[in-house]
Amino acid sequence: MLFLQILANGLVLGGLYACIAAGFSLVWGVLNVINILHGSFIVLGGYLAFFGYTQYGIHPFVSIAIAAPLFFALGYVLQRTLINRMIAAPVLLTLTLTFGLDLMLANGMLAAFTADFRKLILDPPLGILRLGALVLPIDRIIAMLLALGLTGLLYLTLSRSRMGRAIVAVRMDREAAALMGVNVKHVYALTFGLGALMAGASGPLLAMIFPISPLTGPVYLGKAFVICVLGGLGSVPGAMIGGITLGIVESFGSLWFGPEHATTLSFVLLIAILLMRPEGLLGRKGYA
Amino acid sequence: MTQALLRVQGLTGGYGDVQVLWGLDLEVARGEIVCLVGSNGAGKTTLMRTLSGLIPARAGHIQFGDVDLSYANPERALRAGLAHVPEGRRLFSAMSVRDNLLMGAYLREDGVGAINADLERMYVHFPILKQRHHQAAGTLSGGEQQMCAIARGLMGAPRLLLIDELSLGLAPAIIEQLCDTLRGLHREGLSLLVVEQDVATALELASRAYVMDTGRITRHGQSDTLRHDPAIREAYLGAL
Repeated sequence: MLFLQILANGLVLGGLYACIAAGFSLVWGVLNVINILHGSFIVLGGYLAFFGYTQYGIHPFVSIAIAAPLFFALGYVLQRTLINRMIAAPVLLTLTLTFGLDLMLANGMLAAFTADFRKLILDPPLGILRLGALVLPIDRIIAMLLALGLTGLLYLTLSRSRMGRAIVAVRMDREAAALMGVNVKHVYALTFGLGALMAGASGPLLAMIFPISPLTGPVYLGKAFVICVLGGLGSVPGAMIGGITLGIVESFGSLWFGPEHATTLSFVLLIAILLMRPEGLLGRKGYA
Repeated sequence: MTQALLRVQGLTGGYGDVQVLWGLDLEVARGEIVCLVGSNGAGKTTLMRTLSGLIPARAGHIQFGDVDLSYANPERALRAGLAHVPEGRRLFSAMSVRDNLLMGAYLREDGVGAINADLERMYVHFPILKQRHHQAAGTLSGGEQQMCAIARGLMGAPRLLLIDELSLGLAPAIIEQLCDTLRGLHREGLSLLVVEQDVATALELASRAYVMDTGRITRHGQSDTLRHDPAIREAYLGAL
C-alpha cells in the first residue's frame, strides 16, 4: 500500500513537473534559447498567486487565468525587443543574456518580497480524499489535473492551431516557413510568450504545494532542464514523459534514500540518460 | 508578348560580399510557362530566392502585376500571388502531408471552406497525396515529396508559381507525370517559372526559355527556336 501511495505522490509531482518543463522545452527546441529566466517566471507566478490570495482573496486557481495573459505579454515583448536581437548568436550567448535578465528579476524579487519563505495556505483547506488506504490531498490532485490540462492545451495549440503549425514549421525549417509567409520574428516572440505563459501559469499551482521564495527559481529551472534531457527536447509528450518519470523517481528516491537525496538522484538519472540515450526517451523526431 | 505578369529589369543581387546576379532582365506573361536553364552555379536559385524575397535585391526592379516587389519579403510576395517551391522541396518533414499543405495556405484569409476546397483540388491533381495525407512528409518518396512541395506552393493560391529544380533526382516516369500535372494546372490559368537542369525536359514543358550563365541571361527565346540553336545543342543537349 505504501508503494501505491508513493506512486500517487510521484504522479502528482510529475504532472506539475511536466507543466514546468513543457514551456522551457518549447523555447529551447524552437528558438534554441536556454531560457534561464524560466525558473524565476515560475516564482513570480507563485507570488502573484500568494499576494492575490492574501491581499485580495483571489483563489490561486483563478490566478492562473490572470497570470497566463500577463506572462504571455511579458514573454512576447521580451523576445521582440531584446532576445530577437541575438537570436542568431550561438546558444551560450543567449544563455548569458537570459542569465543576466534572470539575475535582475531574482534580485528584484528579493528586494520587493525579501528572501522569506512564504506559504500559501488555503482557508478553509480543500480537504483530503481517501481511497482505501490512499491519502490524497484534494488541492494537490486539482493542481496536478490543472497542470496536465495546461500541458495538454499547449499540445493542442501546437498540433491543431494555425499559430501552432507555424511555430512547428519554424522549428523544422525556418526558411521554408518564411516562404509560406510566416513572419519568423513574430513566431519567435509568440513561442517565447507561450513559454513564459506556461511558467507563469504553473507558478500558482506550485505555490499551493511548495513554499515560495525568490531563491527557488534555480531549483525549478534545474528540474525543467533534467526533464528536457529525459524526455527529449522540444516536444510536449517528451516533457510529459520526462516530468512524470522524474516525479516518480524522486518520490521513490525519497523513500529509499531519504528526501535529502531526491535531487541527487534526479541528476544521477540525468547522467545515466545522457550516457545511454542522449536523444531522450522519446527522441527529437516527434514533437508538438 | 501580351500582358507581362512578372517583369524583371536590371536585377542584381547576391549574398554578403558575393554578387551573383549581374543585371537580369526577364519576363513571364500571364498564362505562360517559362523555363530557366543553365549549369550549376549560374545563379538560377539565387534569382528565384531574390524574386520571392528570401534575399534582398541590390538594384533593379521586380514588377509583379501591378505590385512592385523589388524590395519585398516573402510574405508580401506571396500575398501578391507569387509562390516559390524551393530547391530540395524543403518540406516540414515530421509534419503530416495535410499539415504541410495547410502551411502553404498560412496567409490566406478567405476562410476554411475555400482552403478545404483547394485541399481537395490538390488531392485531385496529386491523388497519391490523398492516400498519404496523414503520413509524415519526410517518409514520402522523392517524387511524392516534390508533388507535396508543389501542392504546398499551390495552396497559397498563387498566380505565378516558381519551381526550383523540378526534376532533380527523380525517375523519368515521375518527371513525365509531374509535367502532365503542371500542364493541367497551366490550362486552369496558372503561370509558371520553372528552373530545370534537364534542358530537353525544360524545352518540352515551356513555351519560352531563358538560358542563364554566370549571373546573366545569355540567351532567350521560344523553346522551338532554342531547341534548334546550335550553341544550345552543343552546350546542353548533346548529340540528339
